[in-house]
Amino acid sequence: MPARTILQYPHPLLKLPCSPVELIDQEVRDLLVDLVETMRQGPGSVGVAAPQIGVSLRLCVVDVSMSKLGKESNHGLLHLINPEIVEARGAATMREGCMSIPAYTGDVERPTRITLRYSDGGGNPRELAVEGFEAVAIQHEIDHLNGILFLDRITSVKTGLFRRKNYR
Amino acid sequence: MLHRAHFAVTVISKDRPGIVADTAEVLYRLGCNLEDSSCTLLGGDFAMILTVSHPKPFSKVRLLDEFRRLHDEKGVVAHVRTLSPEELDNPSPVGELCLISVYGADRPGIVYRVTRELAEFQVSIADLNTRVVGSKESPVYVMMLEAYLPEGMTVGEADGLLAGLRLELNVEIGVKAITPVSL
Repeated sequence: MPARTILQYPHPLLKLPCSPVELIDQEVRDLLVDLVETMRQGPGSVGVAAPQIGVSLRLCVVDVSMSKLGKESNHGLLHLINPEIVEARGAATMREGCMSIPAYTGDVERPTRITLRYSDGGGNPRELAVEGFEAVAIQHEIDHLNGILFLDRITSVKTGLFRRKNYR
Repeated sequence: MLHRAHFAVTVISKDRPGIVADTAEVLYRLGCNLEDSSCTLLGGDFAMILTVSHPKPFSKVRLLDEFRRLHDEKGVVAHVRTLSPEELDNPSPVGELCLISVYGADRPGIVYRVTRELAEFQVSIADLNTRVVGSKESPVYVMMLEAYLPEGMTVGEADGLLAGLRLELNVEIGVKAITPVSL
């Protein structure tokens, strides 16, 4: 399956909460493949959520294993269906960028350690404790499933929004 | 072929509600686009630095005329400079982005010495804010800047290069990586 086009804000789908996945069928499995392909194609991208490719369903993929910040601690490629954060602790600020809002980055504060419940690509319920950059990436993608963009989370007006220059 | 006109506009005025609206209205009525801006309160004055464009060739005189009217009516002082095509070409920096924080007992020369040192190491400042905090009796100077290190220089190396300055100025200097991430 091909990589899909990433929708960019102001596409209305990006601000819409997604519906839960009721049944993990071939369509959903194909969608996961497309999400991974799309993520691999994005420059330095470590995650893509279904609404970013035009599907308003609660699923996303994350893989920080090849990024500078995530390669030390990660769970490899994660297929997250109906993900839910059940516990969150700590706080750290990171300068986030998003393929749906090109050319800008902003400082966002998020919990550093989360516990996650979700179904994997085979439909098995899972619970996972995640920390560091992987936790940030997962929260960013779950935000997409709730129609939230990093622009909604920037807290400092004075230095909160920056022109994107480069990525690691 | 017709080229867009680009201008750098700076506006400063004793603070009051409406300075941004007055300035933006002038630009809107002339059909100018606000390309980039940084505006803030500096002491009791509100300062705006803008780059604006016009889709067609456009005379700086028209901008100046409108701002003169704004000055006469509302006391807003503006300065306009035409930007050359060379100035509009801004390639992305390649080095590491970092946050450098400097603070210590206020004394003359903190900004000068720190930024001169950074310039000598080819560190490029992208954003800088300074403020005097603390009490009147013992004022503390705080400077926060974001800068791109030259290609190949690490944050640790940059930190080491500023060690001498810490002692000379008796200030705290911290260098932290910012590392923008693509999600």
